Amino acid sequence: MNGIERVQATLTGQAVDRRAVAPVLSLYGARLTGCPLDRYYTDSELYARGQAAVADLFQPDLLFSSFSFASVGAAFGGNLFFSGNQAPNLRRPAILSPEEWDTLVWPRHDTNPHLLYFQETIQRLVEAHGSEVLVAAPVVPPFDVPTLVMGIEGWLRLVLTDRSRARGVLEKCVPFFVEMANSYFEAGAACVVAPCGFMSPSVVTRDIAEHFSRPALAAALPQLKGPIVLHHVGAPMLAHLDLLTGLPSTLGLAVDRQDDLDQARAIAGPDLTIFGGPSVFRMPGYTASEIEADCRALLENRRQDARFILCTAGPDVPWETPPENIQALRRTAESFSGRSVPA
Amino acid sequence: MDIQRELLDTVLRADQAGANALLDAWAAEHGYGRLLVDVVEPMLEYVGRTYMDSQSVTLAQAYVAGMIAEDALNKMVAQNRRGQAENVSPRGPVVIGNIEEDFHALGRRMVGTFLTAEGWQVHDLGNDVSAQQFVDKAQEVGARVIGVSAMMTTTARNIGHLRAEIDRRGLTGRIQLAVGGAIFVLCPELVQEVGGDGTAQNALGATRLFEQLWQRSLEREAGA
Repeated sequence: MNGIERVQATLTGQAVDRRAVAPVLSLYGARLTGCPLDRYYTDSELYARGQAAVADLFQPDLLFSSFSFASVGAAFGGNLFFSGNQAPNLRRPAILSPEEWDTLVWPRHDTNPHLLYFQETIQRLVEAHGSEVLVAAPVVPPFDVPTLVMGIEGWLRLVLTDRSRARGVLEKCVPFFVEMANSYFEAGAACVVAPCGFMSPSVVTRDIAEHFSRPALAAALPQLKGPIVLHHVGAPMLAHLDLLTGLPSTLGLAVDRQDDLDQARAIAGPDLTIFGGPSVFRMPGYTASEIEADCRALLENRRQDARFILCTAGPDVPWETPPENIQALRRTAESFSGRSVPA
Repeated sequence: MDIQRELLDTVLRADQAGANALLDAWAAEHGYGRLLVDVVEPMLEYVGRTYMDSQSVTLAQAYVAGMIAEDALNKMVAQNRRGQAENVSPRGPVVIGNIEEDFHALGRRMVGTFLTAEGWQVHDLGNDVSAQQFVDKAQEVGARVIGVSAMMTTTARNIGHLRAEIDRRGLTGRIQLAVGGAIFVLCPELVQEVGGDGTAQNALGATRLFEQLWQRSLEREAGA
Protein backbone atom coordinates (compact mmCIF):
# COMPACT_ATOMS: atom_id res chain seq x y z
CA MET A 1 0.00 0.00 0.00
CA ASN A 2 1.13 3.55 -0.57
CA GLY A 3 0.30 6.39 1.78
CA ILE A 4 -2.91 7.31 -0.02
CA GLU A 5 -4.23 3.76 0.06
CA ARG A 6 -3.21 3.30 3.68
CA VAL A 7 -4.88 6.48 4.89
CA GLN A 8 -8.02 5.99 2.81
CA ALA A 9 -8.35 2.42 4.05
CA THR A 10 -8.00 3.68 7.62
CA LEU A 11 -10.64 6.35 7.13
CA THR A 12 -13.10 3.76 5.87
CA GLY A 13 -12.21 1.17 8.49
CA GLN A 14 -10.62 -1.26 6.05
CA ALA A 15 -7.58 -3.46 6.65
CA VAL A 16 -4.13 -1.95 6.15
CA ASP A 17 -0.67 -3.43 5.73
CA ARG A 18 0.51 -1.29 8.65
CA ARG A 19 -0.74 1.67 10.58
CA ALA A 20 -0.67 4.99 8.75
CA VAL A 21 1.88 7.41 10.17
CA ALA A 22 1.49 11.18 10.03
CA PRO A 23 4.04 13.23 12.00
CA VAL A 24 3.55 16.98 11.68
CA LEU A 25 6.77 18.07 10.01
CA SER A 26 5.96 21.41 8.48
CA LEU A 27 8.83 23.20 10.24
CA TYR A 28 11.21 20.27 10.09
CA GLY A 29 11.53 20.50 6.31
CA ALA A 30 13.45 23.75 6.75
CA ARG A 31 15.89 22.05 9.07
CA LEU A 32 16.47 19.28 6.56
CA THR A 33 17.19 21.68 3.71
CA GLY A 34 18.94 24.34 5.80
CA CYS A 35 16.49 26.94 4.55
CA PRO A 36 16.25 30.30 6.38
CA LEU A 37 12.80 30.48 7.93
CA ASP A 38 11.93 33.91 6.60
CA ARG A 39 12.24 32.42 3.11
CA TYR A 40 10.78 29.01 3.91
CA TYR A 41 7.55 30.57 5.18
CA THR A 42 7.16 32.99 2.30
CA ASP A 43 8.39 31.07 -0.76
CA SER A 44 6.26 28.05 -1.60
CA GLU A 45 8.99 26.51 -3.74
CA LEU A 46 11.41 26.45 -0.80
CA TYR A 47 8.68 25.03 1.42
CA ALA A 48 8.05 22.28 -1.13
CA ARG A 49 11.77 21.45 -1.22
CA GLY A 50 11.72 21.05 2.53
CA GLN A 51 8.75 18.74 2.37
CA ALA A 52 10.42 16.72 -0.38
CA ALA A 53 13.25 16.16 2.09
CA VAL A 54 10.71 15.16 4.72
CA ALA A 55 9.14 12.69 2.29
CA ASP A 56 12.53 11.22 1.38
CA LEU A 57 13.78 10.79 4.91
CA PHE A 58 10.64 9.84 6.81
CA GLN A 59 8.20 8.56 4.16
CA PRO A 60 5.10 9.73 6.04
CA ASP A 61 1.63 8.75 4.86
CA LEU A 62 0.43 12.35 5.03
CA LEU A 63 2.29 15.54 4.17
CA PHE A 64 1.32 18.84 5.73
CA SER A 65 1.21 22.17 4.00
CA SER A 66 2.59 25.20 5.79
CA PHE A 67 1.72 25.36 9.48
CA SER A 68 2.35 29.06 9.98
CA PHE A 69 -0.77 30.60 11.43
CA ALA A 70 1.04 33.83 12.22
CA SER A 71 1.17 34.38 8.46
CA VAL A 72 -2.63 34.57 8.49
CA GLY A 73 -2.28 37.37 11.03
CA ALA A 74 0.25 39.01 8.71
CA ALA A 75 -2.34 38.90 5.93
CA PHE A 76 -4.45 41.23 8.07
CA GLY A 77 -1.50 43.56 8.64
CA GLY A 78 0.20 42.00 11.65
CA ASN A 79 3.95 42.20 12.01
CA LEU A 80 5.85 38.90 11.73
CA PHE A 81 8.91 37.89 13.68
CA PHE A 82 11.14 35.15 12.23
CA SER A 83 13.56 33.24 14.40
CA GLY A 84 16.11 30.62 13.47
CA ASN A 85 14.32 27.52 14.71
CA GLN A 86 10.57 27.97 15.03
CA ALA A 87 7.60 28.98 12.90
CA PRO A 88 7.02 32.72 12.73
CA ASN A 89 5.31 34.56 15.54
CA LEU A 90 3.30 37.74 15.51
CA ARG A 91 5.36 40.53 16.97
CA ARG A 92 2.36 42.86 16.85
CA PRO A 93 -1.21 42.03 15.78
CA ALA A 94 -3.01 44.05 13.13
CA ILE A 95 -5.51 45.70 15.46
CA LEU A 96 -5.60 46.40 19.17
CA SER A 97 -9.13 47.57 19.94
CA PRO A 98 -12.53 45.95 19.34
CA GLU A 99 -13.69 49.05 17.48
CA GLU A 100 -11.13 48.46 14.76
CA TRP A 101 -13.04 45.37 13.65
CA ASP A 102 -15.65 47.72 12.19
CA THR A 103 -13.22 49.23 9.70
CA LEU A 104 -10.92 46.26 9.21
CA VAL A 105 -10.09 45.47 5.60
CA TRP A 106 -10.28 41.68 5.25
CA PRO A 107 -7.57 40.14 3.07
CA ARG A 108 -8.68 38.33 -0.06
CA HIS A 109 -7.70 34.70 -0.50
CA ASP A 110 -7.11 35.16 -4.21
CA THR A 111 -4.81 38.18 -4.03
CA ASN A 112 -3.15 38.47 -0.62
CA PRO A 113 0.42 37.10 -0.91
CA HIS A 114 0.40 35.63 2.60
CA LEU A 115 -2.77 33.69 1.87
CA LEU A 116 -1.74 32.72 -1.66
CA TYR A 117 1.43 31.22 -0.20
CA PHE A 118 -0.62 28.60 1.65
CA GLN A 119 -2.45 27.61 -1.52
CA GLU A 120 0.77 27.47 -3.51
CA THR A 121 2.45 25.19 -0.98
CA ILE A 122 -0.49 22.80 -1.28
CA GLN A 123 -0.37 22.86 -5.07
CA ARG A 124 3.36 22.14 -5.09
CA LEU A 125 3.06 19.29 -2.61
CA VAL A 126 0.22 17.71 -4.55
CA GLU A 127 2.12 18.05 -7.83
CA ALA A 128 5.25 16.47 -6.39
CA HIS A 129 3.82 13.83 -4.07
CA GLY A 130 0.14 13.53 -4.89
CA SER A 131 0.43 10.09 -6.43
CA GLU A 132 1.87 8.67 -3.22
CA VAL A 133 0.55 10.59 -0.23
CA LEU A 134 -2.34 12.83 0.70
CA VAL A 135 -1.76 16.46 1.58
CA ALA A 136 -3.38 17.83 4.73
CA ALA A 137 -3.66 21.58 5.23
CA PRO A 138 -3.64 23.19 8.67
CA VAL A 139 -6.38 25.82 8.81
CA VAL A 140 -7.38 28.39 11.42
CA PRO A 141 -10.91 27.71 12.71
CA PRO A 142 -13.29 30.68 12.77
CA PHE A 143 -13.17 31.24 16.53
CA ASP A 144 -9.36 31.43 16.47
CA VAL A 145 -9.03 33.84 13.52
CA PRO A 146 -9.45 36.83 15.86
CA THR A 147 -6.49 35.70 17.99
CA LEU A 148 -4.35 36.26 14.90
CA VAL A 149 -5.91 39.63 14.14
CA MET A 150 -5.99 41.24 17.60
CA GLY A 151 -3.93 38.85 19.76
CA ILE A 152 -5.25 36.22 22.13
CA GLU A 153 -5.56 38.65 25.02
CA GLY A 154 -7.66 41.11 23.04
CA TRP A 155 -9.91 38.36 21.74
CA LEU A 156 -10.27 36.67 25.13
CA ARG A 157 -11.13 39.98 26.74
CA LEU A 158 -13.72 40.72 24.06
CA VAL A 159 -15.34 37.29 24.43
CA LEU A 160 -15.45 37.65 28.22
CA THR A 161 -16.63 41.24 28.41
CA ASP A 162 -18.74 41.89 25.32
CA ARG A 163 -20.16 38.64 24.05
CA SER A 164 -22.51 40.38 21.64
CA ARG A 165 -19.72 42.23 19.84
CA ALA A 166 -17.56 39.12 19.94
CA ARG A 167 -20.34 37.16 18.31
CA GLY A 168 -20.53 39.78 15.59
CA VAL A 169 -16.80 39.38 14.94
CA LEU A 170 -17.13 35.61 14.93
CA GLU A 171 -19.91 35.77 12.35
CA LYS A 172 -17.52 37.61 10.03
CA CYS A 173 -14.85 34.98 10.62
CA VAL A 174 -17.07 32.12 9.46
CA PRO A 175 -17.07 33.05 5.75
CA PHE A 176 -13.37 33.93 5.96
CA PHE A 177 -12.64 30.46 7.33
CA VAL A 178 -14.87 28.78 4.73
CA GLU A 179 -13.14 30.61 1.87
CA MET A 180 -9.73 29.80 3.30
CA ALA A 181 -10.47 26.10 3.71
CA ASN A 182 -12.13 25.84 0.32
CA SER A 183 -9.16 27.54 -1.33
CA TYR A 184 -7.04 24.76 0.16
CA PHE A 185 -9.33 22.09 -1.24
CA GLU A 186 -9.24 23.75 -4.65
CA ALA A 187 -5.45 23.71 -4.44
CA GLY A 188 -5.57 19.95 -3.89
CA ALA A 189 -5.66 19.36 -0.14
CA ALA A 190 -7.27 16.05 0.79
CA CYS A 191 -8.40 17.44 4.12
CA VAL A 192 -7.92 20.41 6.39
CA VAL A 193 -6.83 20.19 10.01
CA ALA A 194 -8.15 22.76 12.46
CA PRO A 195 -6.48 23.14 15.88
CA CYS A 196 -9.41 24.31 17.98
CA GLY A 197 -8.03 26.72 20.58
CA PHE A 198 -11.30 28.29 21.62
CA MET A 199 -12.82 24.84 22.07
CA SER A 200 -10.04 23.60 24.36
CA PRO A 201 -10.73 22.92 28.06
CA SER A 202 -7.41 24.56 28.83
CA VAL A 203 -8.51 27.79 27.16
CA VAL A 204 -12.24 28.29 27.61
CA THR A 205 -15.03 27.12 29.86
CA ARG A 206 -17.48 24.55 28.60
CA ASP A 207 -20.13 27.24 28.37
CA ILE A 208 -18.01 29.29 25.95
CA ALA A 209 -17.01 26.21 23.96
CA GLU A 210 -20.58 24.98 23.67
CA HIS A 211 -22.53 28.17 23.21
CA PHE A 212 -20.03 30.50 21.55
CA SER A 213 -17.43 28.50 19.62
CA ARG A 214 -19.28 25.36 18.55
CA PRO A 215 -22.12 27.18 16.76
CA ALA A 216 -19.52 28.81 14.52
CA LEU A 217 -18.18 25.39 13.55
CA ALA A 218 -21.70 24.13 13.01
CA ALA A 219 -22.38 27.06 10.68
CA ALA A 220 -19.09 26.76 8.79
CA LEU A 221 -18.53 23.05 8.29
CA PRO A 222 -21.53 22.36 6.00
CA GLN A 223 -20.03 24.88 3.57
CA LEU A 224 -16.71 23.07 3.22
CA LYS A 225 -15.84 21.36 -0.04
CA GLY A 226 -13.90 18.64 1.73
CA PRO A 227 -13.37 16.92 5.07
CA ILE A 228 -11.87 18.32 8.25
CA VAL A 229 -9.94 16.93 11.20
CA LEU A 230 -10.60 18.76 14.47
CA HIS A 231 -7.45 19.03 16.52
CA HIS A 232 -6.69 19.36 20.24
CA VAL A 233 -4.28 22.31 19.82
CA GLY A 234 -1.59 20.76 22.02
CA ALA A 235 -3.55 20.31 25.25
CA PRO A 236 -5.98 17.68 26.60
CA MET A 237 -9.32 17.87 24.78
CA LEU A 238 -11.27 15.00 26.30
CA ALA A 239 -13.49 17.15 28.56
CA HIS A 240 -14.83 18.98 25.50
CA LEU A 241 -14.38 16.26 22.90
CA ASP A 242 -18.10 15.56 22.75
CA LEU A 243 -18.59 19.12 21.51
CA LEU A 244 -16.51 18.26 18.44
CA THR A 245 -18.73 15.34 17.48
CA GLY A 246 -21.94 15.40 15.46
CA LEU A 247 -20.60 18.08 13.16
CA PRO A 248 -20.75 17.77 9.36
CA SER A 249 -17.66 17.23 7.19
CA THR A 250 -15.68 15.88 10.14
CA LEU A 251 -13.60 12.82 9.34
CA GLY A 252 -11.48 12.66 12.44
CA LEU A 253 -10.41 13.97 15.82
CA ALA A 254 -6.79 14.54 16.80
CA VAL A 255 -6.36 14.05 20.55
CA ASP A 256 -3.65 14.88 23.03
CA ARG A 257 -1.23 12.32 24.45
CA GLN A 258 -2.79 12.88 27.88
CA ASP A 259 -6.28 12.05 26.58
CA ASP A 260 -7.51 8.53 27.31
CA LEU A 261 -7.92 6.88 23.91
CA ASP A 262 -10.63 4.47 25.01
CA GLN A 263 -12.69 7.36 26.31
CA ALA A 264 -11.95 9.34 23.19
CA ARG A 265 -13.21 6.49 21.03
CA ALA A 266 -16.33 6.12 23.16
CA ILE A 267 -17.07 9.81 22.74
CA ALA A 268 -16.17 9.95 19.05
CA GLY A 269 -18.26 6.95 18.10
CA PRO A 270 -17.18 4.28 15.62
CA ASP A 271 -16.98 6.29 12.41
CA LEU A 272 -14.53 9.08 13.16
CA THR A 273 -10.82 8.40 12.74
CA ILE A 274 -8.74 9.14 15.82
CA PHE A 275 -5.32 10.68 15.39
CA GLY A 276 -3.01 10.14 18.37
CA GLY A 277 0.67 9.83 19.10
CA PRO A 278 3.61 10.88 21.22
CA SER A 279 3.63 14.45 22.46
CA VAL A 280 5.73 16.74 20.30
CA PHE A 281 6.85 18.47 23.48
CA ARG A 282 8.58 15.24 24.48
CA MET A 283 10.13 14.46 21.14
CA PRO A 284 13.33 16.46 21.50
CA GLY A 285 14.16 15.05 24.94
CA TYR A 286 13.18 11.41 24.55
CA THR A 287 15.42 8.80 23.04
CA ALA A 288 14.29 6.99 19.92
CA SER A 289 13.70 3.91 22.08
CA GLU A 290 11.42 5.87 24.36
CA ILE A 291 9.46 7.20 21.39
CA GLU A 292 9.16 3.65 20.06
CA ALA A 293 7.92 2.41 23.42
CA ASP A 294 5.36 5.20 23.55
CA CYS A 295 4.16 4.46 20.02
CA ARG A 296 3.99 0.75 20.75
CA ALA A 297 1.84 1.40 23.81
CA LEU A 298 -0.49 3.53 21.73
CA LEU A 299 -0.76 0.94 18.96
CA GLU A 300 -1.33 -1.80 21.49
CA ASN A 301 -4.11 0.25 23.01
CA ARG A 302 -5.68 0.72 19.55
CA ARG A 303 -5.09 -2.85 18.39
CA GLN A 304 -8.76 -3.45 17.66
CA ASP A 305 -9.43 0.07 16.41
CA ALA A 306 -9.30 0.20 12.62
CA ARG A 307 -9.76 3.95 12.46
CA PHE A 308 -6.58 5.09 14.15
CA ILE A 309 -3.65 6.99 12.66
CA LEU A 310 -0.35 7.36 14.46
CA CYS A 311 0.65 10.99 14.37
CA THR A 312 2.50 13.40 16.62
CA ALA A 313 0.36 15.09 19.26
CA GLY A 314 0.66 18.85 19.47
CA PRO A 315 1.79 21.54 17.07
CA ASP A 316 4.76 21.08 14.76
CA VAL A 317 7.51 18.64 15.73
CA PRO A 318 10.19 20.90 17.28
CA TRP A 319 13.26 21.83 15.29
CA GLU A 320 15.71 20.25 17.71
CA THR A 321 14.10 16.79 17.56
CA PRO A 322 16.66 14.20 16.43
CA PRO A 323 15.66 12.61 13.09
CA GLU A 324 15.82 9.12 14.60
CA ASN A 325 13.05 10.10 17.02
CA ILE A 326 10.79 10.89 14.08
CA GLN A 327 11.80 7.73 12.24
CA ALA A 328 10.79 5.84 15.36
CA LEU A 329 7.11 6.37 14.50
CA ARG A 330 7.18 4.57 11.19
CA ARG A 331 9.61 1.97 12.45
CA THR A 332 7.21 1.11 15.26
CA ALA A 333 4.24 0.98 12.88
CA GLU A 334 6.16 -1.38 10.61
CA SER A 335 7.32 -3.65 13.40
CA PHE A 336 3.85 -3.69 14.89
CA SER A 337 2.13 -4.53 11.62
CA GLY A 338 2.52 -8.27 12.00
CA ARG A 339 0.50 -8.20 15.17
CA SER A 340 -2.13 -5.55 14.42
CA VAL A 341 -5.63 -6.69 13.54
CA PRO A 342 -7.38 -3.75 12.00
CA ALA A 343 -10.83 -3.96 10.41
CA MET B 1 -23.10 32.82 50.44
CA ASP B 2 -20.15 35.08 51.31
CA ILE B 3 -18.60 37.54 48.89
CA GLN B 4 -15.41 35.55 48.39
CA ARG B 5 -17.34 32.41 47.48
CA GLU B 6 -19.62 34.33 45.15
CA LEU B 7 -16.61 35.95 43.52
CA LEU B 8 -14.98 32.57 43.09
CA ASP B 9 -18.11 31.31 41.36
CA THR B 10 -17.95 34.18 38.87
CA VAL B 11 -14.33 33.27 38.16
CA LEU B 12 -15.19 29.63 37.54
CA ARG B 13 -17.98 30.75 35.19
CA ALA B 14 -15.54 33.19 33.55
CA ASP B 15 -18.24 35.77 34.22
CA GLN B 16 -16.52 39.14 34.19
CA ALA B 17 -19.74 41.18 34.31
CA GLY B 18 -21.01 39.21 37.28
CA ALA B 19 -17.74 39.75 39.10
CA ASN B 20 -17.86 43.50 38.51
CA ALA B 21 -21.41 43.67 39.80
CA LEU B 22 -20.40 41.82 42.95
CA LEU B 23 -17.42 44.06 43.59
CA ASP B 24 -19.41 47.22 43.02
CA ALA B 25 -22.16 46.03 45.38
CA TRP B 26 -19.61 45.17 48.07
CA ALA B 27 -17.85 48.52 47.64
CA ALA B 28 -21.14 50.41 47.84
CA GLU B 29 -21.57 49.01 51.33
CA HIS B 30 -17.97 48.84 52.55
CA GLY B 31 -16.14 51.30 50.33
CA TYR B 32 -13.18 50.55 48.07
CA GLY B 33 -10.54 50.97 50.74
CA ARG B 34 -10.32 47.34 51.72
CA LEU B 35 -11.60 45.75 48.51
CA LEU B 36 -8.27 44.19 47.65
CA VAL B 37 -7.38 42.95 51.09
CA ASP B 38 -10.77 41.69 52.19
CA VAL B 39 -12.17 40.37 48.93
CA VAL B 40 -9.85 40.07 45.97
CA GLU B 41 -6.68 38.88 47.64
CA PRO B 42 -8.36 36.03 49.57
CA MET B 43 -10.10 34.94 46.39
CA LEU B 44 -6.82 34.94 44.45
CA GLU B 45 -5.11 33.13 47.29
CA TYR B 46 -7.81 30.46 47.33
CA VAL B 47 -7.84 30.00 43.58
CA GLY B 48 -4.06 29.96 43.42
CA ARG B 49 -3.81 27.40 46.22
CA THR B 50 -6.54 25.24 44.75
CA TYR B 51 -5.37 25.27 41.18
CA MET B 52 -1.62 25.82 41.32
CA ASP B 53 -1.00 22.08 41.17
CA SER B 54 -3.57 21.26 38.55
CA GLN B 55 -4.34 22.14 34.98
CA SER B 56 -8.08 22.29 35.59
CA VAL B 57 -8.35 26.05 35.54
CA THR B 58 -8.98 27.39 32.06
CA LEU B 59 -7.17 30.33 30.56
CA ALA B 60 -10.49 32.18 30.48
CA GLN B 61 -11.07 31.61 34.20
CA ALA B 62 -7.57 32.72 35.13
CA TYR B 63 -7.95 35.73 32.88
CA VAL B 64 -11.20 36.73 34.57
CA ALA B 65 -9.45 36.46 37.94
CA GLY B 66 -6.78 38.77 36.57
CA MET B 67 -9.35 41.23 35.27
CA ILE B 68 -11.07 41.24 38.66
CA ALA B 69 -7.78 42.08 40.34
CA GLU B 70 -7.00 44.73 37.74
CA ASP B 71 -10.47 46.27 37.98
CA ALA B 72 -10.31 46.33 41.77
CA LEU B 73 -6.95 48.12 41.65
CA ASN B 74 -8.22 50.62 39.11
CA LYS B 75 -11.37 51.31 41.12
CA MET B 76 -9.37 51.88 44.26
CA VAL B 77 -7.11 54.29 42.45
CA ALA B 78 -10.11 56.02 40.87
CA GLN B 79 -11.69 56.41 44.27
CA ASN B 80 -8.47 57.97 45.52
CA ARG B 81 -8.18 55.51 48.38
CA ARG B 82 -4.41 55.30 48.08
CA GLY B 83 -4.99 51.71 47.07
CA GLN B 84 -2.45 49.11 47.87
CA ALA B 85 -0.15 51.46 49.72
CA GLU B 86 -2.72 51.70 52.45
CA ASN B 87 -3.88 48.13 52.53
CA VAL B 88 -1.24 45.79 51.30
CA SER B 89 2.29 45.42 52.60
CA PRO B 90 4.63 46.49 49.80
CA ARG B 91 6.69 43.65 48.39
CA GLY B 92 9.41 43.39 45.85
CA PRO B 93 10.55 44.85 43.59
CA VAL B 94 10.58 42.09 40.99
CA VAL B 95 11.26 42.02 37.26
CA ILE B 96 9.22 40.07 34.72
CA GLY B 97 9.32 39.64 30.95
CA ASN B 98 9.21 37.22 28.04
CA ILE B 99 12.57 35.83 27.05
CA GLU B 100 14.21 36.87 23.80
CA GLU B 101 12.29 35.76 20.70
CA ASP B 102 9.13 35.06 22.69
CA PHE B 103 6.03 37.16 21.98
CA HIS B 104 3.33 35.32 23.94
CA ALA B 105 2.50 38.09 26.36
CA LEU B 106 -0.76 36.96 27.93
CA GLY B 107 0.59 34.72 30.69
CA ARG B 108 3.23 37.23 31.67
CA ARG B 109 0.72 40.06 31.83
CA MET B 110 -1.55 37.97 34.03
CA VAL B 111 1.33 37.22 36.37
CA GLY B 112 2.05 40.94 36.55
CA THR B 113 -1.55 41.67 37.41
CA PHE B 114 -1.71 39.06 40.17
CA LEU B 115 1.60 40.20 41.65
CA THR B 116 0.54 43.84 41.59
CA ALA B 117 -2.77 43.01 43.21
CA GLU B 118 -0.91 41.39 46.09
CA GLY B 119 1.33 44.37 46.61
CA TRP B 120 4.41 43.51 44.60
CA GLN B 121 6.24 46.28 42.83
CA VAL B 122 6.50 44.85 39.32
CA HIS B 123 8.82 45.98 36.54
CA ASP B 124 7.40 44.44 33.38
CA LEU B 125 9.94 44.57 30.54
CA GLY B 126 7.54 43.18 27.92
CA ASN B 127 8.31 40.73 25.12
CA ASP B 128 11.59 39.65 23.55
CA VAL B 129 13.82 40.67 26.46
CA SER B 130 17.52 39.80 26.39
CA ALA B 131 19.38 38.26 29.31
CA GLN B 132 21.38 41.46 29.76
CA GLN B 133 18.24 43.61 29.90
CA PHE B 134 16.71 41.37 32.57
CA VAL B 135 19.75 41.45 34.83
CA ASP B 136 20.48 45.13 34.24
CA LYS B 137 16.95 46.03 35.39
CA ALA B 138 17.07 43.65 38.35
CA GLN B 139 20.32 45.21 39.54
CA GLU B 140 19.03 48.72 38.92
CA VAL B 141 15.90 48.28 41.04
CA GLY B 142 17.27 45.75 43.54
CA ALA B 143 15.02 42.86 42.53
CA ARG B 144 15.55 39.48 44.16
CA VAL B 145 13.32 37.63 41.70
CA ILE B 146 13.22 37.67 37.91
CA GLY B 147 10.15 36.05 36.37
CA VAL B 148 10.70 34.95 32.81
CA SER B 149 8.09 33.49 30.48
CA ALA B 150 8.35 31.32 27.37
CA MET B 151 5.75 29.49 25.33
CA MET B 152 7.69 26.93 23.34
CA THR B 153 10.65 24.62 23.87
CA THR B 154 12.83 26.62 21.53
CA THR B 155 12.33 29.94 23.29
CA ALA B 156 12.40 28.30 26.72
CA ARG B 157 15.96 27.24 25.99
CA ASN B 158 16.90 30.92 25.55
CA ILE B 159 16.31 31.24 29.30
CA GLY B 160 19.60 29.40 29.70
CA HIS B 161 21.31 32.64 28.58
CA LEU B 162 19.61 34.48 31.44
CA ARG B 163 20.72 31.84 33.92
CA ALA B 164 24.27 32.21 32.64
CA GLU B 165 24.13 36.00 32.88
CA ILE B 166 22.92 35.89 36.49
CA ASP B 167 25.72 33.49 37.38
CA ARG B 168 28.32 35.41 35.38
CA ARG B 169 27.62 38.55 37.40
CA GLY B 170 27.98 36.67 40.68
CA LEU B 171 24.29 36.97 41.53
CA THR B 172 23.55 33.26 41.92
CA GLY B 173 21.16 32.80 44.83
CA ARG B 174 20.79 36.56 45.32
CA ILE B 175 18.58 36.80 42.23
CA GLN B 176 16.16 33.90 41.98
CA LEU B 177 14.87 32.87 38.56
CA ALA B 178 11.16 32.02 38.25
CA VAL B 179 10.30 30.41 34.92
CA GLY B 180 6.81 30.06 33.53
CA GLY B 181 4.74 29.24 30.47
CA ALA B 182 2.81 26.26 29.21
CA ILE B 183 5.90 24.42 28.09
CA PHE B 184 7.13 24.09 31.69
CA VAL B 185 3.88 22.41 32.67
CA LEU B 186 4.19 19.99 29.78
CA CYS B 187 7.91 19.37 30.27
CA PRO B 188 8.77 19.98 33.95
CA GLU B 189 12.33 18.81 33.42
CA LEU B 190 12.89 21.96 31.36
CA VAL B 191 12.89 24.02 34.57
CA GLN B 192 16.14 22.43 35.64
CA GLU B 193 17.52 22.30 32.12
CA VAL B 194 17.27 26.06 31.63
CA GLY B 195 18.43 26.80 35.17
CA GLY B 196 15.16 27.91 36.72
CA ASP B 197 14.86 28.14 40.50
CA GLY B 198 11.15 27.41 40.46
CA THR B 199 7.95 27.44 38.44
CA ALA B 200 4.18 27.47 38.89
CA GLN B 201 1.44 25.57 37.10
CA ASN B 202 -0.28 28.78 36.04
CA ALA B 203 -0.35 32.54 36.54
CA LEU B 204 -2.45 32.17 39.66
CA GLY B 205 0.31 30.21 41.35
CA ALA B 206 2.94 32.82 40.56
CA THR B 207 2.45 34.96 43.66
CA ARG B 208 3.17 32.05 45.98
CA LEU B 209 6.19 31.12 43.92
CA PHE B 210 7.58 34.65 44.03
CA GLU B 211 7.09 34.76 47.79
CA GLN B 212 8.98 31.49 48.19
CA LEU B 213 11.82 32.61 45.95
CA TRP B 214 12.07 35.98 47.66
CA GLN B 215 12.46 34.21 51.00
CA ARG B 216 15.02 31.86 49.53
CA SER B 217 17.03 34.80 48.25
CA LEU B 218 17.02 36.37 51.72
CA GLU B 219 18.06 33.09 53.33
CA ARG B 220 20.87 32.54 50.85
CA GLU B 221 22.17 36.04 51.48
CA ALA B 222 21.92 35.64 55.22
CA GLY B 223 23.75 32.34 55.04
CA ALA B 224 26.44 33.60 52.70
